[in-house]
Amino acid sequence: MSTWQSALLGIRTSGDYFISTFLFGVMFGIAAAAIGIENWQAMLMSASVFTASGQFAALEFWQAPLPLGTIALSVTLVSSRNLLLGMAMTHHFDGHSLRRRLVLLFLLNDPGVVNSFRMDDEVDRLGYVTGYGVSMMTSWLCSTFLGLNAAHLFATLDLGAVDFAGPLVLATMMMLFFKNSKTKPTPWIVAGIVALILFEFGMADYLVLLGSVVAGMIVAIIQVRRAYG
Amino acid sequence: MVETNATLIAIAMMASILYLTRITGYFIGLQLRHIRGIQPVLEALPGCAFMAILAPAVRQGSISEMIAMTCVVLIMWRSNNVVLATGTGMAVLLLGGPYLDAG
Repeated sequence: MSTWQSALLGIRTSGDYFISTFLFGVMFGIAAAAIGIENWQAMLMSASVFTASGQFAALEFWQAPLPLGTIALSVTLVSSRNLLLGMAMTHHFDGHSLRRRLVLLFLLNDPGVVNSFRMDDEVDRLGYVTGYGVSMMTSWLCSTFLGLNAAHLFATLDLGAVDFAGPLVLATMMMLFFKNSKTKPTPWIVAGIVALILFEFGMADYLVLLGSVVAGMIVAIIQVRRAYG
Repeated sequence: MVETNATLIAIAMMASILYLTRITGYFIGLQLRHIRGIQPVLEALPGCAFMAILAPAVRQGSISEMIAMTCVVLIMWRSNNVVLATGTGMAVLLLGGPYLDAG
C-alpha cells in the first residue's frame, strides 16, 4: 500500500479519536479564553504545538510575566512520552527519505501510533500515522476555534468533572494495546504496579513515569532474552 | 495581560520542545535498532508510559471516576468502540459524579 493510500486509511480510521480530541480542543479553547489569551494566539499555539496535555500544562502558568523556564520544563515533562512513541516507531518508518521523516514526525500522535500497530504489514506506517495526525490536527484546530468562540456559553458550567477525560481516553488506547499486542502484556502490568508503588511513596510525577518505564523496559528485555534463548 | 512578544516566544519555545520530543525518540531508536531483539522492547515503551499515567490517576480517583474507568475498560474489552467507551465514561462522570461523590 502506498504512503498516500496509507495516509487516507489513517484519516478514515481516525473517527473515534477525532471525536475525543474534539472534546479536549473545546475545553482548551474555553480555558484559553478564560485566561485571556487572544484567539489568534490560541489558534497559533494549537497549530504549532499540537498537543493537548502540553498546552493545558502551559496554561497553568500563563500570567505576566510569562515564566518561560517553568513552562518549558512543564511542557517537556508532560510531553516526554513522545520520546517513547518515536522509539516505538523506529522499525516502522523505513523506506522514506530522512527529510520526509523529519517533516512528517511533526504529526506524530498517540492514537495514530497505537492504531498503527493494529494494521496489516502492507500498510505504510509513516503514511498511516501522518494521515491520522492530519485528522487529529483538523479536529484540534476546529474544536479550539469552537471553544474560543463559545466560551461564554460554558461560563456557568462546572467542567471540573471533565478533568478525568484524559485518563479515560488514555485507557481506551491502553486497551487497544492489550488486545492487539503480539507479545505478553507483562511489561505494562509491571509498569503499572511500579507506578502505583512510586506514587504511594509520594514521588514526583516525572519520577513515577521514569521508574515505571524503566521497570517495564527491563521486563520486556527479560522477555526477549527468554524468547531468543 | 501577557505581552504579544512574550506570547509568541513562549509558543515558539513550546512548538520547538514538542517537535524535539517527537524526533528525538525516533532518532534514539535508530541508534539502538541494530541490537538484536530490540524491536519488541521499543514497542512496549509507550504502553509503559500510559500505565505510569493511568495507575496513579485511578488510585487517587473518586468513586465516579473509578466507575467511569471500569466502564471504559469493560466496553473496550467487549467492543473496541472508543466513542461508546469514552461517551459512557463521560456520562458517568457528568451525570453520576454529583451523586456518587457527594459526602
